[in-house]
Amino acid sequence: MRTNIAGCLVVLCMGALVAGGCAKKDLVKPEEKAPSVTAPAPETAKPALEPTAPKAPVTEQTPVREPVVAQEPVRETPKAGAGDLQGQLQKIYFNFDSSDLSEDSRNILTRNAEYLSKQPSLKIRIEGNCDERGSDDYNMALGERRAKAAKDYLVNLGISSERISILSYGEEKPVDAGHDEAAWAKNRRDEFVVVK
Amino acid sequence: MMRILLILLLLVLGPQGFAAESYLDVTAPTSGKMKLAIGPTTALSGAVPGDVARELPELFGFDLGIAGPFEIAPGEAAGALLLKSAYGVQGDTAILECRLVDQVLNKEIIAKRYSGRVKDLRRMGHAFSDEVLRVLTGEKGPFTGKIAYVSKASGNKEIYIMDYDGHNPQRLTNNGSINLYPDFAPSGKELIYTSYKKGNPDLYRRELFTGQEARLSSRSGLNAMGVFSQDGNKIALVLSKDGNSEIYQMSRDGKDLVRLTNNHAIDVSPAWSPDGSRIAFVSDRLGKPQLFVMDANGGNVRRLTTNGAYNVTPRWSPKGDRIVYSRKEGGFQIHAISPDGSGDAQLTSAGSNEHPRYSPDGRFIIFSSTRDGGEGLYLMRADGSGQTRISPDRAQNTHPTWSVNW
Repeated sequence: MRTNIAGCLVVLCMGALVAGGCAKKDLVKPEEKAPSVTAPAPETAKPALEPTAPKAPVTEQTPVREPVVAQEPVRETPKAGAGDLQGQLQKIYFNFDSSDLSEDSRNILTRNAEYLSKQPSLKIRIEGNCDERGSDDYNMALGERRAKAAKDYLVNLGISSERISILSYGEEKPVDAGHDEAAWAKNRRDEFVVVK
Repeated sequence: MMRILLILLLLVLGPQGFAAESYLDVTAPTSGKMKLAIGPTTALSGAVPGDVARELPELFGFDLGIAGPFEIAPGEAAGALLLKSAYGVQGDTAILECRLVDQVLNKEIIAKRYSGRVKDLRRMGHAFSDEVLRVLTGEKGPFTGKIAYVSKASGNKEIYIMDYDGHNPQRLTNNGSINLYPDFAPSGKELIYTSYKKGNPDLYRRELFTGQEARLSSRSGLNAMGVFSQDGNKIALVLSKDGNSEIYQMSRDGKDLVRLTNNHAIDVSPAWSPDGSRIAFVSDRLGKPQLFVMDANGGNVRRLTTNGAYNVTPRWSPKGDRIVYSRKEGGFQIHAISPDGSGDAQLTSAGSNEHPRYSPDGRFIIFSSTRDGGEGLYLMRADGSGQTRISPDRAQNTHPTWSVNW
């Protein structure tokens, strides 16, 4: 490594001697906004270490780069105006890295299906969620798998798949911000949201 | 090679060639690093404001210290190499003149003069650091690139960008929803990301300097983890429109969709090889999440990781020789492995570390870590050395991605 760098230095010093005056324009790309190299190149090879009046190097305009911050309306979380209906649909919970439906979960899903069959105009969205411990990329897919597991179960119980959409929040929407098993257990869940 | 260069140098320089030999002596410390002195910032005219006089030498010291090959020494005398800077303001314009001097050969190696807005001073400084690396190592530095990341500073996950060293954080999205997975286009001028701002996790492409935005993919289910191919023409992403998460590729405009995986398992986190011929990804098709590599058309799938029960979020190095990823063993640790499955090496050990990505030049890996509490952004060299926190605040900051030089 040391030899390589020293080698580079040697080459560079020679380059400066032999080809002094070669412009270095590569910082500013042609398509940039306000670029201009305003003077010819000086890369001086003068041996003087401390010239009293150092020759000015090429001036490079620093291009103005301002990202635009979006002024987006803050989205209100749509809450179906159906608090009573919503209250009838219970959440189900999962084990770590699993979308298997426990016996408890299947019982809850059966009750949710009974309720849905009495309310044939009701449409729901099943939202799958994960705890924070897994990879968030992977959890995005796991949350979806959890939502789909519940949807498939409800469809098997006779609820039309047209009435059920699914959405994964991965680990992005915890109900408990804690970092222990009690919190994680609450967060590994499917929620059943009335959408119509 | 070295010998030939020295002989050539002697021929060109004559008596001064002896200086070259003594230079080599000076730069033979046991650490193997070259001593680089950072001189104080002097005034082009008038006086240098105190904050500039402090900030610039610090900036050069940080950039070139994290770079690796240098031992940074404060003060002019201490190094074989000396970085000198001079600052002045003319009206609204700041001028920064920088020189790198070989004090042994008594030579100026490079000199640059930058002009721009006063507020762009750090950018000018980083531009010179980039140049110093270019002249001394043959490859330009990445220090004028930007980091895009996800931050919960506002209470919601929004996309931000900042300088590579954590300065100048700016919020890009402001929708109060959940915004995830930023990825720069290779030009550095566009960003794709996934947002729930219209309810479904859809993929958006944002023009950074105009703010113009296009919704590229809004298919039912996930439209997530989009990543540009190195040539910028294609995007690999995860869709679940067919009932289960699968990896697809499409054009940069969201057209010409091609499905690459076809499996009941979870398939997520695509990562292009730099030549665009292969895609690494995560699948739990064998039970637990592991890394796989396939050809870019979906063929020739083979398992990459065989150690560890939970390996995720691969990213290919820009030169193609390594794949960095995160392994869960309790918490997460960052590893790197060769694309043929050899040379697996653990790079982190403190806290839980996720979302690793290479800088565009491959010198560095940026990642998120819980080591200091919360979740912050950190930087290290590709070999795991020099781990340094860069997060500007204590908010939850994740998913960093490093653009080419702006």
